Amino acid sequence: MSSANLKSTLVTILIACVATAIINFTLTSYWVFLFTGAVVAAIALLGVGLVASRAGMISLCQMSFAAIGAWVVAWLNVKHAPGSLLLWVLLGGLAAVPFGIAIGLPALRLRGINLAIVTLGFAAAFDVILLSYTFPGQTKFIFVKRPDLFSSDQAYFALCVAVFVILAIALNLLSQTPLGASWLALRHSERGTAAHGVSIPQSKLSAFALSAFIAGLSGGLLAGQLGTLVAESFTLMVSMVYFVVTTMAGAHLAEGAIFGGMLIIFFPEVLRRLNLPQDIGNVFFALGATQALSMGGTMAEDLRGLFRKIFKGKEIVASGFTEDAALVAVVPPAVKANAKAMLDIKNLTVRYGSVVALNDVSFAVPEGSVVGLIGPNGAGKSTLIDGVTGFLATYDGTVLLDGQKLDGLLAHLRARAGIRRTWQQTRIAPQLSVGDYLTLAASRRLKAEESEELLLWMGCPGPQTAISQIDAGTRRLLDVAGVIAARPKIVLLDEPAAGLSHQESTQLAARIAQIPARFGTSVLMVEHDMDLVRMVCNTIFVLDFGKIIASGPTQKVLDDPRVIKAYIGDPEGLAT
Amino acid sequence: MFTSTVAGLAAGGAYALIGVCLVFTYRLVSVVNFTGAAIGATGTFAMVMLREQGFSLPFSILAGLACGTVIAALLGAVMMKWFASAPAQTKAAVTVALLVGMIALGLRITGGQHPRPFPDLVPGSAFTLAGVVITRAALVTISLAFIFTIAATRFLNRTRMGLQLRALSERPVSAELIGIPVRKLSIGVWATAGIATTLALMIIAPQRAPNFLTFSMLVVPAFAAALIGGFRSFWLTLAGGIALGLLEGMAAGLSGLAQFRSAVPFLIILAVLLWSQRRARWDEQR
Amino acid sequence: MKKHHLISMALASTAIFASALMAATSASAAGPTCTDGKIVVGAVSTITGPADFSEVPKAAQATFDVVNAAGGINGCKIDYTIADDKADPQVAAQSARDLVENKGAVVMTGSASLLDCAVNAGYYDKQGILSVHGLGVDPVCFNAPSISPVNVGPYTLTTAVLQYGSSVLKAKNLCGIFWIVGGTDEAYPAAVARWEKLSGQKFGMIDLTLPFQGDYTPYVLKARDAGCDAVVMNTVEPQIVQMINTADAQNITGIKWLFLAPGYTEQVAKTLAATKQEIYVGTEWEPYTDSKSKSNEGWNAAMSAAGMPLTAFTQGGYESATILVDVLKSIDGPVTREAVTAALHNLSPVNNPLVGTPYTFGMAASHASSQGTKMVKLENGAWKVETPDWFVLPPE
Repeated sequence: MSSANLKSTLVTILIACVATAIINFTLTSYWVFLFTGAVVAAIALLGVGLVASRAGMISLCQMSFAAIGAWVVAWLNVKHAPGSLLLWVLLGGLAAVPFGIAIGLPALRLRGINLAIVTLGFAAAFDVILLSYTFPGQTKFIFVKRPDLFSSDQAYFALCVAVFVILAIALNLLSQTPLGASWLALRHSERGTAAHGVSIPQSKLSAFALSAFIAGLSGGLLAGQLGTLVAESFTLMVSMVYFVVTTMAGAHLAEGAIFGGMLIIFFPEVLRRLNLPQDIGNVFFALGATQALSMGGTMAEDLRGLFRKIFKGKEIVASGFTEDAALVAVVPPAVKANAKAMLDIKNLTVRYGSVVALNDVSFAVPEGSVVGLIGPNGAGKSTLIDGVTGFLATYDGTVLLDGQKLDGLLAHLRARAGIRRTWQQTRIAPQLSVGDYLTLAASRRLKAEESEELLLWMGCPGPQTAISQIDAGTRRLLDVAGVIAARPKIVLLDEPAAGLSHQESTQLAARIAQIPARFGTSVLMVEHDMDLVRMVCNTIFVLDFGKIIASGPTQKVLDDPRVIKAYIGDPEGLAT
Repeated sequence: MFTSTVAGLAAGGAYALIGVCLVFTYRLVSVVNFTGAAIGATGTFAMVMLREQGFSLPFSILAGLACGTVIAALLGAVMMKWFASAPAQTKAAVTVALLVGMIALGLRITGGQHPRPFPDLVPGSAFTLAGVVITRAALVTISLAFIFTIAATRFLNRTRMGLQLRALSERPVSAELIGIPVRKLSIGVWATAGIATTLALMIIAPQRAPNFLTFSMLVVPAFAAALIGGFRSFWLTLAGGIALGLLEGMAAGLSGLAQFRSAVPFLIILAVLLWSQRRARWDEQR
Repeated sequence: MKKHHLISMALASTAIFASALMAATSASAAGPTCTDGKIVVGAVSTITGPADFSEVPKAAQATFDVVNAAGGINGCKIDYTIADDKADPQVAAQSARDLVENKGAVVMTGSASLLDCAVNAGYYDKQGILSVHGLGVDPVCFNAPSISPVNVGPYTLTTAVLQYGSSVLKAKNLCGIFWIVGGTDEAYPAAVARWEKLSGQKFGMIDLTLPFQGDYTPYVLKARDAGCDAVVMNTVEPQIVQMINTADAQNITGIKWLFLAPGYTEQVAKTLAATKQEIYVGTEWEPYTDSKSKSNEGWNAAMSAAGMPLTAFTQGGYESATILVDVLKSIDGPVTREAVTAALHNLSPVNNPLVGTPYTFGMAASHASSQGTKMVKLENGAWKVETPDWFVLPPE
């Protein structure tokens, strides 16, 4: 655990202890009961938030999962199962997982909003079945037995708070692993996330299954709180309200979940005291969520933003290259004479209907080299990168990575095989921190020294910085830092200098030229900035109308009249 | 068993019509609309409440249709004003939130437990099939579903406005740039789906437990139907909706399965998803 | 841009803060007794959400108002609080705890909720508080030591209408289509079995799969194809209308439809005015539509004076409130929760003109004191009383 993590964990625990003590020692048991309800609701909201606010999916059956957890607890209680409530609650949570997987598996392999529809269908069907079969022991008044230690309302409240805190801390730590970072990332861009070697269906499914587990836990805790259960606690309508509250409050953050839980429990209380009808609550939640969606933020996120603004000042971090650009002397890397082909493209052909985007393209990138791929707009450069990295549905021809055939492999498997790419437009999720992004990109947690050295070298801010705080140019640099952090066999950089100033692009050139020697990674670079190309590339290939029209040592090719002609009318090209 | 299967025909017609409306909205304004059935419920209850106030039936029907249309157009305007360029997930989430609010308000205004005297708009029976009286209402609902399917298909493929609308659902911003009146057209799409759903619910209301919540939840089987059509094909959606009704009817007739008949839409959704899985596909923008 | 967010956040925080304040103030106000000149009585009812039973506690309120206006019970005013649970278990639990722990209610009376019994029966038991329920809706109301409803309830009524069907209507092939909810899959067959024992007849088709929503055509056809000449159903108003409309659409003839008390409303009568089906309903109380009934006089006068509607719901509220007033009057000494509970535990059967059998509480593990019904028949959009005398089931 890093020191920052340790600090935030300790602060969370301290706040929870103080709050629990205040509530337990100053309020009557009625209010302790309400707060217990709020914490149990907050636990369920953590699960919804994981799916909805973090991974950006819609799940409308979380309370059905909670019902499964509650049912298991009630059943174990009736059967006088060994162990106590604590174990039963855990088993209840685990019992919900297979249901989550069974529902998520077919829905999440496809894109789009299938999950919303399938969970709606599940909740509607589950409602009816639960309503008729109800909970074990309900008709016979068999109360769910709490262990002696937690038999008082105050102790049970403390138990629920403890469960919430453990979950919140665990989720926070998990969000700093490659899997956890991928949830936030895939909400922003699925393609961008897959390019880091993440299997999108697996990542989504893990988020959904984990949320089912958390929902199951909350159901079990509710069973312990109320002692007796009714189906109405877990209907589709309740699931929808929880989704709506999550959307409004931002329950992927611990404070958002607590805030949402308080809303769910205390809103009815306030309405009752003001003698207002109870159904106003849902209308308020609906309006709040709609408004939150239109603003693109949640209460918890806004609160964090406000906090940051007040205490840290709002600053946009720009590129941090320190050396004087004029002094930088860039030379292309030294390549061994008999270097093997790290990437070998043979007869690559891509058709979109009747349009031929790439026509029988063949070339190789030798190990340890930086190869440039240039050509006018629409020549097929990005299509080539998409094809090689597995983002096209089909193509003809063969792609070999270090002698291994990649054809037919999905994008994330190619990434894992050692081929990484950047995008013309950056696809880094703004909700991540720089450190979490590196973890995601490298598919592992880098050592502190390692990541700090890499970030310093690429002119990026420190790992704690939020992506939303850094400027567009620096994000481009972070793109490059990310792909090389994975230390792949080869990186494909798609216009890495786009959006950078001349000075910055010279500084970037110096880094790119060093990538093979420093990281053992070969480079294929698509670029319009001819200065950059001239400085770093060992060889270049020129693509026009989907065909290679020239290739060879950089300067020679750039002087080729055919190349100059291809660039006429393309203002970015000839000027240099 | 055949008897109970045929008995599901009426329900199937309603599922089909609402499903086709959902596909219509999705294809033209790219919104997966969870409020689809609730819009119809609003218009239907407006009709019966006016009738209770002593207004004439034709007036009540027209006013009810107008109410459903206006509510749909209002929702459409909200979606256009604040969520025009939002991703599909966000738009769907908005409709879920709106559905929660609509149900709360709907139950408040209409009251839950007392039945309303829903007038039989299409009274009488058409013919008897396998011992089941097929009501005119069932026939009309199915015919409406067919008509709407044909109209929607033609509209999308044959008319200039249809082409414009398709362009706009793919690229709303660029469509606006080339002079397509995006807002007006989108709201029109919402209104059209609203009026069709309202009409369908008005016809089947007397033979359903007419409660605002249960009406709004008709969106579940309708989604199953739309999924069968892949949210693309109107004809497959139509067939899917009718098949779903028949399947539910059949399940009600089998003694071992009857208590699980409410799970039929869910099982259909699962089956369709399993079947339609192929390779992971990448969407264009993200 | 973010201003709206801040506003909604501020609103919500104020709300939470406000309730925290109330927590602080109400913490000190627990346990009022008659020494403050009031007796605190509570009710948890479904008022908003999918159903509105508010007439039941409001009728109780009107009854208490009359008592209070006349000086109260020995100078003690009845302080009656009605809490809405919006059919939400969480809110129901909160409301009950608020009434018992914060308001210091000594007894619950006139409650009518979709789930108060299921959610709170155990809690009431633990707190040693009893409920003279105005209208028991969910099955637990008739199966709990802490609750004794004044109405007949669905199980007893199922047996009663079946008995009426076989003994008076002379039906030979009685069938049942039941909507099973909240673990009632044993209770309804048990009610049917009780009738089989009473009548010596064998029950026909029984279906326990009726959904709350959906197409009812298959069920109507099932009853027709099974050759039923009478069908008992436990559904509520909208579903009754739906079932009869479906039967009409299928041109069903020769089936007598026997419904339970929820069907006995003027809305059902009006809505189904044109039906060709033969419809009977078993009532919970003296039929409220019978304006000439002597039994209804007290209730009729009280409700008319208070401007309350004359419905079955107000009968329940009125009966439970009058019973409670008598119980309270009988207590010697401070009217505490313990005193009221003891008085109800020792209550000797109370005769009330609105019901066929005396109301009891006592120490039993479950309560269903009302064992009598009056049958009404739907004729030309109105309810006609078929049994001028109470149709009472013999004791089990």
